[in-house]
Amino acid sequence: MVMKKLDQRLFRMIKNTKGQYIAVLAIIITGIFVFTAVSNSSINLKDSINDYYVETNFADIFVQGLSIPEKLERELPGTNNIKQAEARIVFDTSFITEDKDENVKVRVVSVDKNQNLINKLFIKSGKRTLSNRDIIIIEKFAEARNVFVGDKVKLRINGRQQEFNVIGIASSSEFAYMMENEQTFLPDPKNFGVVFLEENYLRKIYGTNGNFNEILIIAKDEKYIEQTVDFLEDNFDKYGVTRVIKRQDQHSNNLLGQEISGLEMMSKSIPVVFLTFAGVMLAVILSRIVKKDRTSIGVLKALGFTDIEIIIHYLKYAAIVGLIGGFLGSIIGTALSGVMTNYYLVFFSIPMLTVKVYYYRIIISVVLSLLFCTASGFWGVKAIIKINPAESMKPEAPKKGKRIIIENIKIIWSRVPFTWKIVLRNIFREKKKFIFIGAAVAITCGMMIMTTWMIDIIDVMFNRHYREFMMVQYNISFNGFTNENVLNELSEHLSIDKMEGRTELPFEIENGRESKIATIIGLRENTDFYGFKNTDGNKIKLPSNGILLSSNLAKSLNVNVGDRILIKSFISDKDVYVTVKGIVNQVLGINAYMNIDYMNNKFLDKGLINGAYLNSKDNVKSKLDDMKNITIQSQDDMIKAFEEFTTATAVSMGVMVVFSGILGFVIVYSMTLMSINERTLEFSSLRVMGFSKKEIFNMLVRENTIMTLIGIVAGIPIGLWLVDYMGKSFTTDIYTMAEPVNPISIFVSIILTIIFIISAQLMTYVKIKKLDFMQALKSRIT
Amino acid sequence: MSDIILKVEKLKKDYQMGEITVNAVKDASFVVKKGEFVVILGPSGSGKSTLLNIIGGMDKPTDGEVYFNKELITDFTDKDLTFYRRNQIGFVFQFYNLLATLTAKENVELAVEICQNPIDIDEVLEAVGLGYRADHFPAQMSGGEQQRVAIARAVAKNPEILLCDEPTGALDFETGIQILKVLKDINIKYKNTVMVITHNASIAKMADKVIKMRSGNITEIIKNENPIEPERIEW
Repeated sequence: MVMKKLDQRLFRMIKNTKGQYIAVLAIIITGIFVFTAVSNSSINLKDSINDYYVETNFADIFVQGLSIPEKLERELPGTNNIKQAEARIVFDTSFITEDKDENVKVRVVSVDKNQNLINKLFIKSGKRTLSNRDIIIIEKFAEARNVFVGDKVKLRINGRQQEFNVIGIASSSEFAYMMENEQTFLPDPKNFGVVFLEENYLRKIYGTNGNFNEILIIAKDEKYIEQTVDFLEDNFDKYGVTRVIKRQDQHSNNLLGQEISGLEMMSKSIPVVFLTFAGVMLAVILSRIVKKDRTSIGVLKALGFTDIEIIIHYLKYAAIVGLIGGFLGSIIGTALSGVMTNYYLVFFSIPMLTVKVYYYRIIISVVLSLLFCTASGFWGVKAIIKINPAESMKPEAPKKGKRIIIENIKIIWSRVPFTWKIVLRNIFREKKKFIFIGAAVAITCGMMIMTTWMIDIIDVMFNRHYREFMMVQYNISFNGFTNENVLNELSEHLSIDKMEGRTELPFEIENGRESKIATIIGLRENTDFYGFKNTDGNKIKLPSNGILLSSNLAKSLNVNVGDRILIKSFISDKDVYVTVKGIVNQVLGINAYMNIDYMNNKFLDKGLINGAYLNSKDNVKSKLDDMKNITIQSQDDMIKAFEEFTTATAVSMGVMVVFSGILGFVIVYSMTLMSINERTLEFSSLRVMGFSKKEIFNMLVRENTIMTLIGIVAGIPIGLWLVDYMGKSFTTDIYTMAEPVNPISIFVSIILTIIFIISAQLMTYVKIKKLDFMQALKSRIT
Repeated sequence: MSDIILKVEKLKKDYQMGEITVNAVKDASFVVKKGEFVVILGPSGSGKSTLLNIIGGMDKPTDGEVYFNKELITDFTDKDLTFYRRNQIGFVFQFYNLLATLTAKENVELAVEICQNPIDIDEVLEAVGLGYRADHFPAQMSGGEQQRVAIARAVAKNPEILLCDEPTGALDFETGIQILKVLKDINIKYKNTVMVITHNASIAKMADKVIKMRSGNITEIIKNENPIEPERIEW
């Protein structure tokens, strides 16, 4: 009851400043909704993945080998922190389609007839119980290829075409992000999928003599996983163990983890920018209102209102923004987190992906927004305490009309037209306000640069990798090692422009305490397929001995040129020290390169290769269709998958551009409105002198134009810093985002920034047109 | 002695303006009785507004004492002064100082909401002759009407003293006389003590007591045995 009339005044005050109010509200809503949407999505994703892993008993350790006996399933549990073990057969083969030109690959995984112990399948449709000729197909692949329960599919197994009945469509936790291997950078569900066959039947037709090539392990205690891994690495050589992969390094899980980290980072950084600006804006708006209301505040004090009552009255202005902004922002954010979480389904297959409404997070968002706005508001209204009621009744002493710096340079100042003099003086006298406008423009421009860079970089990275770094049209992999003579066989089938044999093997590379598993590629010394450049951008040749490391590998091992590193082979006991001869710029993937002869000499036998690179005008896939035990990866397929990916990301980048624009638009709009409200008396005098509304508007435009230009100039380094920051944050084992910003991106960003600022300016012209300047001269009511 | 509402003793107020000390009030002493209509008369810069602000608890003196109903208000804390203004004092300013976003009635209600023994708002608005303008905003009213709202706002709180700083200063003669009449009527009807500051010597004729000031000093205190009706004042 006590504050009833003051509350009425408050609502009328909000109504009178609705432009600014809506503006600041828009920024708060944006900040809170980005925070809610992104952080909810990351929680949704994280929780769903964890639930999925628990539900499907996702393996802690994946052991890959050549010949793993079934008995280990029984012998291992109970020893060395191992709780459960399950062996299986995994291999890649062709999925036969009607189109002969297509080369579709599937990973065949053996599973128990009824339900496997580890990495259980999550059936989406059909049934789980498998008979001999039954097959379960992974959902993403089935969708991409239009395969349904009841269909028949053909696979090439052990050189023969085999037909299977599709009895189920399933998801699998280990293929939530379905990537072929570490060398592929995007999922391509149309050309790579996973299928599940009954274990005993597969052993029979695949001819493994009862042996498996993988064993999955669930640890008793996560704390001692390292010891278990060490045990497996040290004792399983006899089974031809090639790799022991911990859950955290498992490809799909690793990528999901990186995606979640990226989301978490985004949920922390973007809202902070928006809320900071909203906070400063609220403080500025309120301090201006308090200044304008000086006499009213004096009257309230004279009437007997306490300082606290008056401060609360003004703080309610900020608190209501916080409440509405927090509430709407978190509601919109929660709704959009559903859309965003579902967006991840484009890439990830998580059947238990749940979009939850986190009521406690809505409450937290509202409370945080309320506290934040009230605190910012307090900064703006604290001057109330200093207002002396007796003093406030007297007209405020005019501002010191001191000269600005440029005025001292007489030659310039005397030539400045009158209207520009007003503009310059205003800017210099209201430095804080103009710095704020400049900062908003700078952040807008900086965020635009970052966004256009991100749109650009994906393209640049692919081009750099596939057109400048690795100029390979077809990458052919053989199932195992073979003699170089196989290349002659290939040349008989194809008209070849270029062809080279290559070796590609994973190794554990160590430098002191640092260690990393990466694929080393053995190439001909004068290879035509790779264009190596060092980190300075200079071309380098593959040395006859020693090793070249990709820049991200060198960084994670903390290695420099000239250092010696230890290379541990998984297929033999040979641990070899080699010298780092160079560090090469590589934007996609984490690799090392050696001369093939040197590599074979150190780890294999002379003349052996396990794959080939070739460029040919032929349709290689269809021509090599009859060749057994090879898989072909074509650059075109990669580029097609990439194009699908960029379409999906373009939407989110577009949203970022709009957000960045909103910030600049809203701040310039509201600050200009504030100027108009505060300077009605000044503008009225100018009108009396004969200035037109347009001329007065032009004055405001000039002030903002100067600040926009300064903002843009300052925005460029901010943008470059953001690019550097984002590049570092998003650089993973797969991507190295260290590309410089294209000048065209900067140009586009500047144009976009200017468009948003001009729109804001045009909106304020409406206000200028509506202002009754003459009325301002007539009355003096507080 | 019991009917004395205000006692000012050896009051002094200095202002620091840059390097110069301004002695706004040098040595003021006087008493005001309950229900008196007092005019403080003096040219601009004589210190009368400063004096009024100190009496009203809006400012603090450099030296001297002010007793309100035997309470030494010059010893009051800021909080005490706020409650003193809230419950005992009604202010009327030269430029009305109404809150622009509140209607006439709401301006009065605002003041009434925080005090202890308010008078009925409609009654006060009728008393100042503005019942029919209650729902108008200040911008829709003339200066005289706005000043009447300001008086209603001050009176509705039922204060013991009504302090008016040049209440007719911004008004034409006829409107000024109307305002003075309202003040006199209020003085009679509600038995408030009224103190009016003015530089207009004619207004002094309606006062029970006239305190003349010049250059921060009280030069004369005149007791007017025959105050005239406001309508008979001319300037």
